[in-house]
Amino acid sequence: MNSLKRYLPAALRISLGAIFIYAALPKIADPAAFAGSVAGYKVLPYFWNYLAAAVLPYLELVCGVLLVCGYRVKAAALIVAALNVAFMAALVSAIVRGLDIDCGCFRQGGPKTSPWIALGRDAVFLAMAGLVLWLERKRENGLVARR
Amino acid sequence: MLKNSRLGTVAEIALIVLISAAAGIFWNRTQLADAWRGEPAQRIEAAPQAEALPMPIGLAQVKEMHDAGQAVLVDARGLDSFIKEHISGAIPLPVDEARNHPASLLHAMIPVDSIIIAYCNGFSCPDSMNLGKLLIKAGYSSVFTFEGGLPEWRDAGYPVAGNER
Repeated sequence: MNSLKRYLPAALRISLGAIFIYAALPKIADPAAFAGSVAGYKVLPYFWNYLAAAVLPYLELVCGVLLVCGYRVKAAALIVAALNVAFMAALVSAIVRGLDIDCGCFRQGGPKTSPWIALGRDAVFLAMAGLVLWLERKRENGLVARR
Repeated sequence: MLKNSRLGTVAEIALIVLISAAAGIFWNRTQLADAWRGEPAQRIEAAPQAEALPMPIGLAQVKEMHDAGQAVLVDARGLDSFIKEHISGAIPLPVDEARNHPASLLHAMIPVDSIIIAYCNGFSCPDSMNLGKLLIKAGYSSVFTFEGGLPEWRDAGYPVAGNER
């Protein structure tokens, strides 16, 4: 129990970071395909699909690396949470409009991931980010108290 | 103290976003510049399935090539529709049937070096595009789709044939 308490925050933080690094890499490798996935949601005007496809993966990568390293965790986890909220909003809008698209979350192309599964997955990631934030705040408070 | 740390977090978030955006934009600068100029429009569609598409062709050119006998017009609709009415001189090749024909049979019906114009029932009908793609796959190199199709042709007063004449 004690060791769980000690290692859970780090394990949670590192897995969330790893997931985001893992999600970022295929998009960085093929930005055009990711732009196609973004365009599939039909929420952005033409050029903005490309801009989002160019910037989003790097944001995911940087946040993932920061989470894994445990550096500036609060900021990174907040961004990850915001990203997941945005992803979920996009997925919900795709479901509502009945768009038959691939979520484009991880690998680009290949078999389609149902938006419902993607939504559930994002909810889990959001919960993880929330938990990381909560644990981080607890840790900071502990540090302050000890000081 | 609390306010300071919150401000610090906001600044960190801004910095992370800025750095990521800069890296992403810098890394993809050529592609973004292309997109800004509106160039890689077809790259989006080409990415998932790289296949050659038939070229669209307008009524005037279709008429010209039809009259000069330069092109083979193929009717992508079902046989019933063809029998009722079709562009005069067109040959029937329903897309569902063509799908089942081996390329060799198609080559026997239409010489492989001919110019092909596929048409169907006008703008909302996908058959001519599908047939065009199929013919390109079967080895034909000059394949066009006449998107106006039979309605535009008929309305222009050009010759049609079939039972309902």
